[in-house]
Amino acid sequence: MPFKKTKSDAADALVLEWVLQVKNYKLNLDRNRCAGCQICTLACPRQAITTQKQPKQSDEPTKKAKVDIDLEKCNFCGICDVTCPYGAVKVIQNGSHDLAVLTKESYPQLIRDITVDTRRCDKECDECVTACPLSLITISKVGYDGQPVNDLSGLSPLAKRRVQVTLDIQKQYCPTCRACEFKCSSGAIKVKKCFEGKLAVDTEKCPPGCHECVDVCPITGTLTLDSKAKVVTAEQTCTFCGACKNVCPKPEALTVHRTKIFHTPVHSGAWNKTLERLTSPSDAVKEFKAQAAKTRRELVLHRFEVEEMKKK
Amino acid sequence: MSSPQDPAKPEALRVGVFVCHCGLNIAGTVDVHAVAEFAKTIPDVVYVKENRYTCADPGQEEIRKAIRQQKLNRVVIAACSPRMHEPTFRRTVAEAGLNSFLYEMANIREFASWCHQSDPAAATERAKDSVKMAVAKVRLMQPLQTIEVPVTNKAVIIGGGIAGINAALDLAEQGFKVYMVESTQSIGGHMAALDKTFPTLDCSICIEGPKMVDCARHPNITIFANSDLVKCEGYIGNFKVKIRKNPRFVIPEKCTGCGECKDACPIEYPNEWDNNLGTRKAISVPFDQTVPLVYSINRDYCIECFKCTEACGERDAIDFDQKPQEVDIEVGAIVVSTGFDVYEPYDMPLLGYGKYPNVITGMEFERLILAAGPTGGKVIRQSDGKKPHRIAFILCVGSRDKQHYPYCSNFCCMYTLKHVVQLKEKYKEDVEVYVFYMDIRSPGKGYEEFYDRARERGVNFIRGRVSRIDEDPVTHNLMVHSEDSLLGQPIEVEADMVVLATASIPKKGSDEVARILNLSRDANGFFMEAHPKLKPMDAPTDGVFFAGACAGLKDIPYSVSQGSGAASRAATVISKPKWKIEPIISIVDEEKCKKCGACVDKCPYGAIRQDADQPAKIITASCHGCGTCVAECPSHAITQMHFTDAQVLAQIHAALETNPEDKILAILCNWCSYAGADLAGISRCDYPASVRAIRVMCSGRVAREFVLEALRLGAGAVLIGACHLPYDCHYISGNYKMKDRTDALKAMLTKLGMSPERFRVEYVSAAEGIHYAEVIREIDSQRKALGKEKIQAENAKLKPILENMLKRK
Ligand SMILES: Cc1cc2nc3c(=O)[nH]c(=O)nc-3n(C[C@H](O)[C@H](O)[C@H](O)COP(=O)(O)OP(=O)(O)OC[C@H]3O[C@@H](n4cnc5c(N)ncnc54)[C@H](O)[C@@H]3O)c2cc1C
Ligand code: SF4
Ligand code: SF4
Ligand code: SF4
Repeated sequence: MPFKKTKSDAADALVLEWVLQVKNYKLNLDRNRCAGCQICTLACPRQAITTQKQPKQSDEPTKKAKVDIDLEKCNFCGICDVTCPYGAVKVIQNGSHDLAVLTKESYPQLIRDITVDTRRCDKECDECVTACPLSLITISKVGYDGQPVNDLSGLSPLAKRRVQVTLDIQKQYCPTCRACEFKCSSGAIKVKKCFEGKLAVDTEKCPPGCHECVDVCPITGTLTLDSKAKVVTAEQTCTFCGACKNVCPKPEALTVHRTKIFHTPVHSGAWNKTLERLTSPSDAVKEFKAQAAKTRRELVLHRFEVEEMKKK
Repeated sequence: MSSPQDPAKPEALRVGVFVCHCGLNIAGTVDVHAVAEFAKTIPDVVYVKENRYTCADPGQEEIRKAIRQQKLNRVVIAACSPRMHEPTFRRTVAEAGLNSFLYEMANIREFASWCHQSDPAAATERAKDSVKMAVAKVRLMQPLQTIEVPVTNKAVIIGGGIAGINAALDLAEQGFKVYMVESTQSIGGHMAALDKTFPTLDCSICIEGPKMVDCARHPNITIFANSDLVKCEGYIGNFKVKIRKNPRFVIPEKCTGCGECKDACPIEYPNEWDNNLGTRKAISVPFDQTVPLVYSINRDYCIECFKCTEACGERDAIDFDQKPQEVDIEVGAIVVSTGFDVYEPYDMPLLGYGKYPNVITGMEFERLILAAGPTGGKVIRQSDGKKPHRIAFILCVGSRDKQHYPYCSNFCCMYTLKHVVQLKEKYKEDVEVYVFYMDIRSPGKGYEEFYDRARERGVNFIRGRVSRIDEDPVTHNLMVHSEDSLLGQPIEVEADMVVLATASIPKKGSDEVARILNLSRDANGFFMEAHPKLKPMDAPTDGVFFAGACAGLKDIPYSVSQGSGAASRAATVISKPKWKIEPIISIVDEEKCKKCGACVDKCPYGAIRQDADQPAKIITASCHGCGTCVAECPSHAITQMHFTDAQVLAQIHAALETNPEDKILAILCNWCSYAGADLAGISRCDYPASVRAIRVMCSGRVAREFVLEALRLGAGAVLIGACHLPYDCHYISGNYKMKDRTDALKAMLTKLGMSPERFRVEYVSAAEGIHYAEVIREIDSQRKALGKEKIQAENAKLKPILENMLKRK
């Protein structure tokens, strides 16, 4: 059979496939999990991914930007899979999810550093479950007899104390926004963001009445409207994914700037370029400085300077 | 010894005319005796002789004798086409001490006896006129000296398949320096991808591999793999070839071929060399036996992680900044061995290729059954990875099919027999095999016996064309619908897998190679030989030779012999210190040249230079003698030797001396339209004898004056025959120059009141004899429909204007 390339685009998934006589490659983008952000577009080493702002219906909230992947350019390396903060992409190579870019150490993994100490949990609390904007947290409670407990109100204090709480976070989908951590009154959850950065809205520059960014932000509470219908930002829960940036009609009004990415150590040209695109050349240089990677730093500086010179 | 000539006192002309009977080939239709008698009446003809076979030894001896005894200083031979025997008689004439350019042929066989068999009287008239025209031209001919150019004793082979490899090794063994240009990353061609070879079933790479390695190791051979032919200038013995080495991003001198980079690389992409059945790494070689063994990075897939650079370490062979590099080489001869491509029948939807996973091509099957292939030699279905138990093979897919490729692809019958024998011998009773065929073609040595071997193994042969294939969407099994033409009834066979023996087709990029080397291609797109029987390995461009499937499909034994054959042909050039060139080039009359430079752009070969305030200069060795510049020069300052204005005009005058209104004056280019007209004769196409043909080397030579003069003399119609646009012209673009010129001319003449059908430009290839005959028939009936009176009336009106235009000269 000849080599077949296929692409199918449905409301809830975009599927790309290479089928060869003896091998196959598949990419599945879960449109429900995809936030329409900037990350994979910038991470893709082949520039195969684009986002498109969706036309706005006057009476409806703005829709998140739509991601498209070019079948002619995609080579199923899995870098989008590895970098997506929302875990929306899955790349399968020959039936396995062991991506060669990871096993061959040619690309790092995001570190989603979440620690949970359920011993500190208030046994009756489930604030984190409701706090998670992506509904990734489930809590299960088990009594001393090993039976699941749903309602603690009828239990004696002793029995209450002996209830064991388990907290399950679907880590592969978690963008580490820290909403749960802030909500948690007993300090049982600690989240370290995998993306750090800056978020700012210059409401002076916003077109009157615009709240497109608020509509699309996947992390509820990060962007809100005040009483005068002006956008207010809460940087502490921002994942710096840039979904807002993809729909903002006034580029100068909104700043999303990633400065640091928390990842497993790696020596890789592909990552260096991704880092440069996701953050900025100067932020990338900072990382290389920290790693004492002199040559890479010089390379970026050189490229950066040349570009600066070109601009002048 | 050359003819004694005193420029002060021109010697009296003594023309000898030799009329050939060609057995009955000419004498059977043309009254040769009448032609001979007529010749005696032509001024300056002092001797006429009839021969039964002029080209045979006694015939040639007659000519030599007559030149010596009758002191002939011009010779006309009325016989076959000059395309056939002009060189023969040049030698004859020279042997008798006459300059070999003081003779002319009158074509009275292809252009009279063979094409006017139904009208012997008219054929005889045409033959007489042909002799008269030849005498008219020969009177004005000048002795010319053959030009000699030095030869570079090196050769370049374009295409490193089995044919090219053999040509390279043979030349290198004879001591010549050989360059080999291969566009892919490895030499070897299709043969390197085959499993076994018919009819002996020996392992293909086991027999080709050592030859590939020999090529790489030979001190006289330099291989440029992953390289393209960019440009070629010059001429036989003296080609300047530009090659572009495309970047591999690996430095060949440093790469040890260890493959450690490949193991580090995370990226895979479909391996085209494996027919995309499997994959290769972004840094890899296409197959293990690759020659030269140098890795390459495919930047279309590479993510630039630099893991390979890390793995390569101190060897430091990887260079991401590598740029394309151009190399200039000088050679005396070129061998083209660019092979073929395999057709993928996407445009035959009824067969389901590309749609049904278990329908594959023969080439894909080859990779499946190969032990070193992507499945490790297991024949498996794509749909479920299981072994098929019933396999149907379909022959002539796309071949011998007017909708696709009308020709027979030569080796698909045999390779399918190979596939079925391999299957039967590997899986025995476990596999049932059906072959749907039109005819089994097995003409080679041991081939019919191989067919018997397949039949003895219990293969089911069904004669019939397959009409369609359906797939069961659940099992992915296939239903082959055909007719059994031996039983005369429809037949259906269910199979687990279908293998299509698809056509082999002209190599992609052949048009580019043809353009660069100035080659022509036949109706099917394969390169055209100078002569299909007598010069099967010579290109029409001198010094260029063909080997293998690029000039028509050939199996391995045949390609190998052609490789050696082409090497031997190339050696006839590069073994000589000097090469002789026909002196029919153009020269500039420096007095007449107005230094306008108009000719410079018109020369298809860039052979003309015109520096400020200097008369134009023609680089003799670069001039191919098309005569386009002659026709373009506004000051009539350029002359093409052997095809001067005066000579052609004399032919026109002779042709139209009597009854011009009844005649069609045709000016035909040597390579296509004259050859097409010859073919009309050879194929005995009968057409009206009212045509009088003049040969020029290229239609680009046809000056406006020729057409105007013919019409002034009252010609019934004028025809210009040229090679097909866009690429067929043997002088690159002479036909375009002619077209520009005649488009304007025709518009003008029509405006002046000439019926447009009286002036025609027609593109006739060397293969279009029938077309040529039809064109003449059409012009002749149009001429008759207009009527002599109308033509005469138009001519009377045109004449003063034409005279005026011609006077301005
Ligand atoms: C499925 C299949 C099975 C076959 N089995 C057999 C068999 O069993 N026995 C047998 O005798 N024959 C067999 N043949 C036929 C055999 O493949 C050919 O006879 C043989 O390959 C012809 O050799 P070649 O060198 O002329 O052309 P090719 O093998 O096609 O080689 C041409 C080379 O030129 C290169 N090239 C092309 N264009 C350019 C360019 N512009 N510049 C530089 N390089 C260029 C190509 O990359 C290639 O390396 C089979 C063919 C097929 C399709
Ligand atoms: S990285 Fe962002 S845009 Fe890309 S798939 Fe993930 S969520 Fe969607
Ligand atoms: S506000 Fe932050 S989390 Fe929300 S879309 Fe913008 S960048 Fe993403
Ligand atoms: S740089 Fe390219 S070729 Fe080298 S290992 Fe990485 S993907 Fe493979």
